[in-house]
Amino acid sequence: MSEQIEQALSRKYDAGFYSEIESETFESGLDESVIRRISAMKDEPEWMLEWRLKAYHAWEKMEEPEWAHVEYPKVDFQGISYYSAPKSMKDKPQSLDEVDPELLKTYEKLGIPLHEQEMLAGVAVDAVFDSVSVVTTFREKLEEAGVIFCPISEAIKKHPELVKKYIGSVVPRTDNFYAALNCAVFTDGSFVYIPKGVRCPMELSTYFRINEMNTGQFERTLIVAEEGSYVSYLEGCTAPQRDENQLHAAVVELVALDDAQIKYSTVQNWYPGDEDGKGGIYNFVTKRGICHKNAKISWTQVETGSAVTWKYPSCILKGDNSVGEFYSVALTRGRQQADTGTKMIHLGKNTRSTIISKGISAGKSNNAYRGLVQMGPRSDGARNFTQCDSLLIGDTCGAHTFPYIESRNPTAIVEHEATTSKVSDEQLFLCQQRGLDPEKAVSMIVNGFCKEVFKELPMEFAVEAGKLLEISLEGSVG
Amino acid sequence: MLKISNLHASVEDKVIIKGLNLEIKPGEVHAIMGPNGAGKSTLGYVLSGRDGYEVTEGQVTFNDQDLLDMEVEERARDGLFLAFQYPVEIPGVSNMEFMKESVNAMREQRGEEPLTAAAFLKKAKEACKQVQLPLDFLKRGVNEGFSGGEKKRNEIMQMILLEPSLCILDESDSGLDVDALQVVAEGVNSQRDNKRSFIVVTHYQRLLDYIKPDFVHILADGKIVKSGDASLALEVEKSGYAFLGQAYEEAQA
Amino acid sequence: MSQWLEQVIDNAKDVSDFLTPTRQASLAELKAQGWPGKRTENWRFTPLTSVSQRDAVKVANAGEAEVPVIENLDVFDIVFVDGQLITSIADIDLPEGLTLSTLDDVSGDDEQAVKALFGHIKPQRHTFGLINDALATQGVFIDVAANANIQPTIRICNLTTQAVDVHSRVLVRIGEGASVTVMEHGEGNADSLTTAFAEYSIADNGYLEHYRFALFTDKAKQVGGSHFRLGDHARLNSTVVGYGSELSRLDVDIIHAGEFADAKMNAIYLLAENELFDLHTNIEHAVPNCTSEENARGIIGDGARAVFNGRIHIHRDAQKTLAEMNNKNLLLSRRALINTKPELEIYADDVKCAHGATVAEIDDTALYYLLSRGISRSKALVILNFGFIQELVNEIPKAAIGTWLLPKLSTRFSQMEVK
Repeated sequence: MSEQIEQALSRKYDAGFYSEIESETFESGLDESVIRRISAMKDEPEWMLEWRLKAYHAWEKMEEPEWAHVEYPKVDFQGISYYSAPKSMKDKPQSLDEVDPELLKTYEKLGIPLHEQEMLAGVAVDAVFDSVSVVTTFREKLEEAGVIFCPISEAIKKHPELVKKYIGSVVPRTDNFYAALNCAVFTDGSFVYIPKGVRCPMELSTYFRINEMNTGQFERTLIVAEEGSYVSYLEGCTAPQRDENQLHAAVVELVALDDAQIKYSTVQNWYPGDEDGKGGIYNFVTKRGICHKNAKISWTQVETGSAVTWKYPSCILKGDNSVGEFYSVALTRGRQQADTGTKMIHLGKNTRSTIISKGISAGKSNNAYRGLVQMGPRSDGARNFTQCDSLLIGDTCGAHTFPYIESRNPTAIVEHEATTSKVSDEQLFLCQQRGLDPEKAVSMIVNGFCKEVFKELPMEFAVEAGKLLEISLEGSVG
Repeated sequence: MLKISNLHASVEDKVIIKGLNLEIKPGEVHAIMGPNGAGKSTLGYVLSGRDGYEVTEGQVTFNDQDLLDMEVEERARDGLFLAFQYPVEIPGVSNMEFMKESVNAMREQRGEEPLTAAAFLKKAKEACKQVQLPLDFLKRGVNEGFSGGEKKRNEIMQMILLEPSLCILDESDSGLDVDALQVVAEGVNSQRDNKRSFIVVTHYQRLLDYIKPDFVHILADGKIVKSGDASLALEVEKSGYAFLGQAYEEAQA
Repeated sequence: MSQWLEQVIDNAKDVSDFLTPTRQASLAELKAQGWPGKRTENWRFTPLTSVSQRDAVKVANAGEAEVPVIENLDVFDIVFVDGQLITSIADIDLPEGLTLSTLDDVSGDDEQAVKALFGHIKPQRHTFGLINDALATQGVFIDVAANANIQPTIRICNLTTQAVDVHSRVLVRIGEGASVTVMEHGEGNADSLTTAFAEYSIADNGYLEHYRFALFTDKAKQVGGSHFRLGDHARLNSTVVGYGSELSRLDVDIIHAGEFADAKMNAIYLLAENELFDLHTNIEHAVPNCTSEENARGIIGDGARAVFNGRIHIHRDAQKTLAEMNNKNLLLSRRALINTKPELEIYADDVKCAHGATVAEIDDTALYYLLSRGISRSKALVILNFGFIQELVNEIPKAAIGTWLLPKLSTRFSQMEVK
């Protein structure tokens, strides 16, 4: 039976195509001049360049981290190009009609039409292609509500006071090796600002595409939700199928001021490499949010791609009564390695956090939950509940749980539970007896296992995530 | 419809079915009784194609096709339904989505369009009512946290929804009180017509008070040792399987 | 590198006996590893500052120590005071099937048996275990013949009374189908440092009832371990009790090497003042069909600090494993701290494995229930808090040991400030 499951898991990667688009790409290598060039390309103010250089010099002195249970050939930081953009973007197209049709076609092929009339109603998209933002839709409509949704490169120029105030305020420049690198060389990403008391009228979403060979993508996203505001944001990611590894090192910062709510969802489908672990994206990402009084940040992620994932979307629960949530599905197969989880730092009184993590391992992959729940001395009445479930498919994969719990407050309560299970022969047989083929049966059982997480995704994307999982599980059955 | 000839089957190298013959025509209800360990449940698993149940000899034809050559789901789509003695739980997968997939798999086989969500819901609600399960059972995970009786009724509900041509009920009466037994039996009886056939596997005669069989077979040590009409079941009820001793010896001879 | 470690390595030069090859290998490994720092995962939450700049004290004359008495317990005592053996083993009237010898007095076949145990059951990477390999010349070898059922408890006491370094070793071989009870007891409050490591091999169908009482307090530092290897159908029932001191660290490794082996372990820690107690447990399911169950509960009061790291490792071949681990903690004070990490590392799919950890305060409903019965709030808190560890004391197989332990824990608890 498990052989059938294995076969059911042979994956097709739908987003693995390459778009023939003429690009301007920096020669590989990294030094101060590269950072100056990036900054100049983006037409940045002096303070931004200085900020980048400070990060770069700090990074030079930092040590590359090594993680237990994660093995991969080291990244050659001089062998990567740090900037690549379609030539057509140089003239800064003013409307969709001016954008290179090849670019639009790429997104269409990925199921993301960028013409507003064709789009999912109620979803605004920022499309980032290699190092530049191609287009951001529905901007006028959002502006009416006072919402700013634009490429971060544009925000640096148009809203310097906001960017200056918040960039690096949640993830400090020297937070970790990859965050520091990102600070030095980030190229594009999204900036979101929701004014006081505004409920963002649409779902916001950024779609990241790596296209060019031998490039790294260093995106940076900053979301600021003013007092009492609300926003739901989703990011999606894909890349062409290639034998070489590519680096994606992003930084995401969320600021939820008093009574604000940010819902951040990720459907990560970077190219995972082939069966034997050749190629695939290294996804080394730092995501963190800070919650002020009564604020809430909710991270939901569906991770099916990347050769190596290293990612811990976290919440600093600074304000009293603030809430942090982390819902995660991570599916690994082939030789994929995922090391993901969250940090919930409880500083304020009556802060609450919930962690639901579902790991599915198949093939020769390894899937680890690594998390930290920290109850500070002033976190009176704080609560955490963590549930980590692993599903193993076959006996050549691994599932691991490394939860760190630290409490310094006698009135804080932390509860952690973890279980492991498999798709049982009985379950498969029942489904087959009811006429379902093994592929459908496995994907249905796995979907059921992930249900608690999927229900946290915005409706439009819950369907997409379910499909993604199904594609991931799709294949031939002998 | 179903013809079993000289069937031999084993589980983990242990021979359980040892030369079983049985023919079932459309519309017939066959009860299979027998002591524990006679191979009753094994027969259901072999016919439905469960992994690990190996047929070592004999043939089974189902609607003139070689049943043993078909995959589990192909048999199901061709109308073979097994109501499990111990239905497994599938956490997180709702009864509703499970049955919708299943019903549509059957319809696809028959060249029919998949049901719309509304049409399916209507059907499912009716089936749910028929076996007296609260409607919220449709939303709950498959068998998740169901009591023994609820699981059995859920199996019958699935049978009603899937409209199979051959239903194998594996001890669908075990662990049920009289009321629940009646619900199960009524569910089954409502599905009886001149085309649909049933194999009712049971340890006790009790169920056969409610589901009247056309034939009763006694299975012992892997083969049918005695066949008769409904009165045979009553005989078993009266004198237990003790009489088997002799019959069994005769069969052996 | 620490001053203490340098002196220790220097002292190890003088040790020479039939175990020298293992001792040398451990020394080499020790030098290669160096002194653990904050970035060493195994010592992440447990600073070694109280040891690193200490002077290694080689030998001392045994001081005066009172051997704790457990009433109504049939027991043989083997007592070390300040590292010196004060029991005359030759005078013990041993039951049939039991052999006792000291490390400096083994010969013939026993020498081979000791060599097969020494450094072969505990993982050879623990800094202090390696130090113990190099320096432990004092030690006991307990040999239980096949099918022998030894009734009396064998207790090894390590008592310290002064500023001294003690390195002691216990090696136990339990034959096929044999059963025995072994207790490792450590106590002291002087500025001593005890490394006490024990290695147990339980052959097929053997049974070990095990106790480790690490009751060092104040400045008495201890770093030790109990390590077990279980054969086919072998069983282990272990109870660990830890107090904290300036530094108190215990490592337990249970290796399921034979199928259908079963291990149960209960651990209790009760920490007050500025004590530190660190329990690292590791259960290796290397073969199929084994079971393990671990329950660790701690109460941390005052400015004390507890560390729990419980690891379950299910190897690729260990199908049909059942493994459960649970760690529960109560913090009694705003200055207390707990770091807990229940880890799972799983490479086999057909297993049932679960762990849980909680840090909590007393259940409001339970408290309300007691208050409604007229019990004072402070008394109710004591009852509920203490009940939390009492549950595990009640599971101790030998009633006499539970009866002796409970008032000791309760006295210690009553001196702690309950918020």
